[in-house]
Amino acid sequence: MKTVICDILKIEYPIFQGGMAWVSDASLASAVSNAGGLGIIAAGNAPADAVRTQIRKAKEQTNKPFGVNIMLMSPFAEEIATLAAEEKVAVVTTGAGLPTKYMPLWLKAGIKVIPVVPSIGIARMVERAGATAVIAEGGESGGHVGELTTMTLVPQICDAVKLPVLAAGGIGDGRGIAAAFMLGAVGVQLGTRFLVAKECTIHQNYKNKILKAKEIDTMVTGKRLGHPVRALKTPFTREFMQMEYNSTITNEEIEAFGAGALRKAAVEGDETNGCFMSGQIAGMVNKEQTAKEIITELFTQADEVLKGAARWVK
Amino acid sequence: MTTFEKVAKIISENRGIDVQSLTPDSTFEQLGFDSLDTVEMIMNFEEEFGLTIEVTDEVKTLSDVVRIIDSLLAAK
Repeated sequence: MKTVICDILKIEYPIFQGGMAWVSDASLASAVSNAGGLGIIAAGNAPADAVRTQIRKAKEQTNKPFGVNIMLMSPFAEEIATLAAEEKVAVVTTGAGLPTKYMPLWLKAGIKVIPVVPSIGIARMVERAGATAVIAEGGESGGHVGELTTMTLVPQICDAVKLPVLAAGGIGDGRGIAAAFMLGAVGVQLGTRFLVAKECTIHQNYKNKILKAKEIDTMVTGKRLGHPVRALKTPFTREFMQMEYNSTITNEEIEAFGAGALRKAAVEGDETNGCFMSGQIAGMVNKEQTAKEIITELFTQADEVLKGAARWVK
Repeated sequence: MTTFEKVAKIISENRGIDVQSLTPDSTFEQLGFDSLDTVEMIMNFEEEFGLTIEVTDEVKTLSDVVRIIDSLLAAK
């Protein structure tokens, strides 16, 4: 299933594997790229050396294009922005902020910039600054989430910009891909489904929790701090939520409580203190598969659904 | 109308805030804007003044906005 985004990026399938901190490393990204999608290495809050190591590894493990996701709230964001330009990665995706100040640097390095956008205003600003495409990500997704849903955000972003739009948030199978295309997208980004890819190196406890999760098992915390995050309901998130509702506890104390929790989940599988980020679609993620199996299954199903859609019209 | 008056009018009309309560020292945060609201409002100013305004962290108060708009207008 080829769309304009495949032509622009030279990938087989119009699918990105989302940049997930502590999760999206060279192993996962290169497996996705080798399987015909766009694998993405997440910089998260890591310093440049750690990210450079992953980029170099990915370059050894795949000769297909891959990207780096820069989390703009990271204290190392500027370093990583420079690193991406030096390494001339094929694609930079961005989240949690406005990337416009770094875009001239990336464009000069020949990098295609595809920011995740939570609003029309931001989509228009990045279009103006030379973005290649945008990812309209609804709050069904895991990790940092915005207010709008995929269903409402995607068509409005498609109306607002001339750029190709990828849909993200809540997509877990071929029906979601077909739906995204109906909303106007020409590609999709998935995160949660790739957590259980065999090439994903997170702790098995994390994978098991995703496999067992039901549709009601995620919650959003951090609204009080101004950077809401969706994760599985666990002792950690429930305690975090209690702290948010307690006005005697300061924002700094809450931030300190949350620091390192994602690492504890992804690296140590710590079920008591870890923060297991996840999208709402975790309920539909039930099988450990290779990246290749995931992508093939997704697009085979999307194909069937789209062909079947003709039955609704005369 | 001065630049500040135009800026205040746009904010008042868009957000239903009483224009009398807007002062040069008012911050977007105090006015209840989140980061997306601020981007949206700056785009409204761009349309009104026919400018391209770079959104940075330095835009905190209405007087910051007015200063940036005035210098861009002078450079035109």
